Amino acid sequence: MIKSRLVALILGCTILALFVFMSVCPKVFTPYAPKQTFELWLKPSASHILGTNDVGYDIFTEIVYGTSQTFFIGISSSLLALILGALIGVLSAQNGFIGQIFSGLINLFVMLPKLVCLIVLAAFAGNGYLNRILLIALFGWVETAREIRAKTIKIKSSSYIENCKIHGFGKIHIAVFHILPNLFDLLFARFLNGVNGSVMTESALSFLGIGDLYNPTWGTMINLAFRRGAFIRGAYNYLLMPAVCISLLVLAFYLIGLALKKEN
Amino acid sequence: MKKYLNNLITCVICFIFIVILNFALPRLMSGDPVAYLTGVDEESMSVVQYEYYRNALHLNDNIFVQFGYYIKSLFDGSLGYSYRMEATVSSLILSRIGATLQISLVAVVVSCGIALVWGLSAGSKKGTFDKISTTANVIINTLPSFTVGMLLIILFCFGVKIFPYSGLNSPNIEKGTAEYFFDRIYHLILPVTTLTVTFLPSRYLIVRNTARAVLNEKYLLFARQRGLGRRKIKYGYILGNVAQPFIAMVGMSVGASIGGSVVVENLFSIQGMGTLLTDAVYALDYPLMQGVLFVTAFIAVISIIITDVICILTDPKLRRARL
Repeated sequence: MIKSRLVALILGCTILALFVFMSVCPKVFTPYAPKQTFELWLKPSASHILGTNDVGYDIFTEIVYGTSQTFFIGISSSLLALILGALIGVLSAQNGFIGQIFSGLINLFVMLPKLVCLIVLAAFAGNGYLNRILLIALFGWVETAREIRAKTIKIKSSSYIENCKIHGFGKIHIAVFHILPNLFDLLFARFLNGVNGSVMTESALSFLGIGDLYNPTWGTMINLAFRRGAFIRGAYNYLLMPAVCISLLVLAFYLIGLALKKEN
Repeated sequence: MKKYLNNLITCVICFIFIVILNFALPRLMSGDPVAYLTGVDEESMSVVQYEYYRNALHLNDNIFVQFGYYIKSLFDGSLGYSYRMEATVSSLILSRIGATLQISLVAVVVSCGIALVWGLSAGSKKGTFDKISTTANVIINTLPSFTVGMLLIILFCFGVKIFPYSGLNSPNIEKGTAEYFFDRIYHLILPVTTLTVTFLPSRYLIVRNTARAVLNEKYLLFARQRGLGRRKIKYGYILGNVAQPFIAMVGMSVGASIGGSVVVENLFSIQGMGTLLTDAVYALDYPLMQGVLFVTAFIAVISIIITDVICILTDPKLRRARL
């Protein structure tokens, strides 16, 4: 069991390190500049590992430069979602009116049709980076909040919290120094899951054409490939390689999460 | 019973939330609400046109009267007017919603069926079958829905040419004939498969994990000791524990399945509500977008209420409590 966890951890970290490296120093991986043009629809060869696309960009270069965009949106929106989720989760575990309000908020967001809401809100709010990160975070905190809520309720009924109450510590003191440290492993696991969710949501949105076309993420690349007839041209790597990258990234986070999960 | 009552209240609040969101969005965003509500650029409008739109949209009245007009448009079934398409939003959505429901509802039913049978077989017995199928589902879970669709298109439309890759019907086939019906099913296979494969992992994992959690219960040990067959144990004893969370989750996921259908419709160029939504986004047709959001939320809420009723009807504890 330990061995398989180690394998999962090493595999996940390797893939993740590769992508991080790609996003930090893309020049190591590709000799070309991001918008350098070559002949159109070149087949894969030694000089162009994945060929070129309809306007002559090297596909591999585009993937490498898309890594940082995808990473940035994925990680920042999941961090935001994590903070939001932790806050609302802890608040919803309170007794009384506040708890009810925030529990209701969680139930409400579980029911909302996420993707359709996101599309409509993105259309209204515009296509900026910040807007997209905020919107993805706005619909990404629900799962975190639910799990935090369940865990907090469990912790609150434990005897050491009771002990704190008997000693007369304040509510905020208990929440910050006694409940929060116990939530850290859950928060970390949720962060890894949250990155996956954000990357998936972002790619679905940009596949539908809601995104920055000049700085393409992987989802945008697939959208462009799809709209510009990569199917008919047989340029399947233009369609599939960004998708493979998305899957690998998601798998990497999943594997790390699996390896670091607490034994239950 | 209290849980379901709470659920019902949340449903109603969810619905009201969407209505208020729809009403508030064009009025809160920076910029003139006229531009948002008509989809026409402010600069390209003459003063007369602008005044006409302002009056037609009741933007000169106070906010509560405006809200009244909005509620009225929801109740008389028009859902607003799309100035871009020159038709009421409801007529546009009604002409497209059939295709979306055919894809998403069928996919929900099929994926639930497969997940239930597969998850029960994997969860009821520890071993290699469970390991392999769980790993497979975890890997499928990492694939975005459009990747699944593209793989299917590449395999079955360009590799082996047996399925069409776009549309819901071949041209030149008369509506209403048996041929039309079978042609429709033939066209639906790939989109439905795509959505089914995307939904399968989460459902499979829920069934499998719930089944695994009750596997060590004493009544199951007793059942096995009495020599009951595996099938009887699976469907007679474990299914009862899985049913409640599973049905509740299915109800929750209908709304998400319409979201998934947006992606699939774009991929397969199907004229459904999803493509209507993305077309509206490209054309900046805001009333149409809001209409689609409203209808989606409506379907989601209705499906949650229906599954709650099914939950109440199938829960033996609740059934007896009422009698």
